[in-house]
Amino acid sequence: MSNWKNSVDPAVDYLLPIAKKAGIETAWDRYEAMQPQCGFGELGVCCRICWKGPCRIDPFGNGPQRGVCGADAHTIVARNLIRMIAAGAAAHSEHGRHIALTLLEVGEGHAPAYRIKDEQKLRKIAEKLNLAPAGKDIRQVAKEVALASLDDYSRQKRNVPCNWAKETLTAERVDKLAELGVMPHNIDAVITEIMGRTHVGCDADAVNLLLGGIKGALADYTGMCLSTELSDVIFGTPKPVITQANLGVLKEDAVNIAVHGHNPLLSEIICDVALKMNEEAKKAGAKEGINVVGICCTGNEVMMRRGIPLATNYLSQEMAIITGALDAMVVDVQCIMPALTSVAECFHTEIITTMAENKITGATHIEFREDSAVESAKKIVEVAIEAFKKRDKRKVNIPDCKQTAITGFSAEAIMAVLSKLNANDPLKPLIDNIINGNIQGIALFAGCNNPKAIHDNSFITIAKELAKNNVLMLATGCGAGAFAKNGLMTQEATEAYAGESLKAVLTALGKAAGLNGPLPLVLHMGSCVDNSRAVNVAVAIANKLGVDLDKLPLVASAPEFMSEKAVAIGTWAVTLGIPTHIGIVPQIMGSSVVVEFLTEKAKDLLGGYFIVETNPELAAAKLVAVIKERRRGLGI
Amino acid sequence: MATANENYFIYADPRKCLGCKNCEIACALAHANCDLTTAVTRGLKLKPRNSVVQVGGMVMPIQCRQCEDAPCAHACPTGAIYQEDKFVRINEGNCIGCKVCTMVCPFGAIIIAQEEKDEGNRRTKNGKARKCDLCYSRKQDNKEVSCACVEACPTKAIMLVDYESYRKKLIEERGKELVRAYSVIKA
Repeated sequence: MSNWKNSVDPAVDYLLPIAKKAGIETAWDRYEAMQPQCGFGELGVCCRICWKGPCRIDPFGNGPQRGVCGADAHTIVARNLIRMIAAGAAAHSEHGRHIALTLLEVGEGHAPAYRIKDEQKLRKIAEKLNLAPAGKDIRQVAKEVALASLDDYSRQKRNVPCNWAKETLTAERVDKLAELGVMPHNIDAVITEIMGRTHVGCDADAVNLLLGGIKGALADYTGMCLSTELSDVIFGTPKPVITQANLGVLKEDAVNIAVHGHNPLLSEIICDVALKMNEEAKKAGAKEGINVVGICCTGNEVMMRRGIPLATNYLSQEMAIITGALDAMVVDVQCIMPALTSVAECFHTEIITTMAENKITGATHIEFREDSAVESAKKIVEVAIEAFKKRDKRKVNIPDCKQTAITGFSAEAIMAVLSKLNANDPLKPLIDNIINGNIQGIALFAGCNNPKAIHDNSFITIAKELAKNNVLMLATGCGAGAFAKNGLMTQEATEAYAGESLKAVLTALGKAAGLNGPLPLVLHMGSCVDNSRAVNVAVAIANKLGVDLDKLPLVASAPEFMSEKAVAIGTWAVTLGIPTHIGIVPQIMGSSVVVEFLTEKAKDLLGGYFIVETNPELAAAKLVAVIKERRRGLGI
Repeated sequence: MATANENYFIYADPRKCLGCKNCEIACALAHANCDLTTAVTRGLKLKPRNSVVQVGGMVMPIQCRQCEDAPCAHACPTGAIYQEDKFVRINEGNCIGCKVCTMVCPFGAIIIAQEEKDEGNRRTKNGKARKCDLCYSRKQDNKEVSCACVEACPTKAIMLVDYESYRKKLIEERGKELVRAYSVIKA
């Protein structure tokens, strides 16, 4: 059976028929069973914000055009949309808060499992946040940075913008956003504000609501930014590392543990502990000891920092269990399908939840706390080893699919590679190549998978097309997972798909970096919370050129997005001036005002705007056209 | 023409209908041969041929019942509505929008709706009778199509009923009951 309509991932192709035969339901089955999906919901014109409803607007003008309270389609769509942004921002900023609090504990001498791995970066951050770190003890600096970051959650002065937003963007952008009244002063307050203004009987003007959403998106950016940077301080800043991706990384003769979710706080410790418990696994009969693999963004985190192989990305997470070789899946927060426990029922696999606020019925809960992280990790590994003993060998089906992936291109790593070409002025070689057209522009791929598109296909199709057009590509999140699994983070991919001039630049850079060949076709910049890394690079280029971000030949694409976090990320990308493609029709089409604002008016106001295109070939053409238009604007 | 078989018709189970109106959207789109996003972005004024009504505690989609002795077909002065091929068909081209059919329909299942394109002729408003045609208008190359509302219903409340098989099933069920009753008596 061919699964071409489900996925282009060969591992999925191999495992789906096995699942089908065994009667195991997957996300694709549930998606099919969900068809057709509700038209009112698809258009975003269903309002469930109060209990006079649900109200819905007739999209064809025959029936009601206003809800019971009088809210029209524009109000309803805008309210629904910005509530999604608030949820996305909440998810990212809770992640960030967790990391910032951990850094504070490290600074105060608690949390023995953690330490400051990148002192230099911490000092740089302290400088950026104007904390005058020179001469201070590193623990003191950690404390001050943590407190300045936590300030971004608690500041009450509305006219003082968040530290992390203000200090990481171009001055021109910060001014513009402040003038629009959308610069966040406090992440928590902005999220609360969205919930408040969308309550029944409050803000009813679609455009004003959208401006509130933009503010929420910038709060999201703030939370992501501090989350990424402080994670680097605690766990180390990623450097290029060669590893492998796709389900073939599971080993028949090992205790396979997958870390899944988004937060590196526990997964990092599990990796440490697993190394120490190898012997116990061997005693239990696993010749190769313990094999830790990653799924989704926790996977990206440990992949970037430790070279832990990536098993798979969002939509195919159930497949990891269907291999029959996964002994435990340890999950923390976000993007964890509740279906995992029912799939695991068909196997010996233990699904282990670790966060008090994220439990799944049927899973084993082993609570994680920063002060006892090592003990939790030990317990988890023990459970995995026990599960391994129960593994049914007849059910093991590890697909023979794995690809090499060169990952770990943090902003610092990219600068380090560039500085091999020009130590005094690392950005110069990159900018020169953009100006002379060897690199036509830069595209950032982000976002999730969505069964509304063929799994991974849009990423791969658009990337190949952009490569031909000499566009330098960065990727994060499940997009990065798609590229890694399908072999686009390899030197061979650069040879095969890059246009001549892009190939020449990547080859020069790769050789300078000691890779003995080109850099990979797509640079892995991290998990989805790490999109701020790409902003760091873009802001550096913009500052160097003396222009704002909305002038750069820079585009973003989330061709298979689904989560509220992706809605928030896409919105801040647009807010920062980046034309952003989305490949799934968003649930906003019921309001012409909202659609027009996001796809057209935003361009005049912010420089960035959304491009909606479900066909990946056409999307690639549109992205290339935007890059060309931006180049003409710069006169290059 | 042989008229041995009774007409098919659409029936909904009121215990399963949640009143979501998904069938209305699906019907409007099916008859415009258009997808939702396109219809909405172009601002098309599409008309469903069914209508979800609420009476008392019940919710139920109502559409043409394809009556065997259809009052609308009798009353239609232009012959636009007629019996053919197991349905009450409508030839919108012949309809003059006189509304007689809507007056005689016992279910209120026929509406007069304006054409999407009004060509500005002041002698006509281009109003035509619209009613459920069991998606006959979607039928292409003689291929059977299933009814859009049946496909769209998330609770599977709506079904296309073939009266003959329905009757057969009914008789079988009644038969079973009789057999059971008989065996009880015998015991």
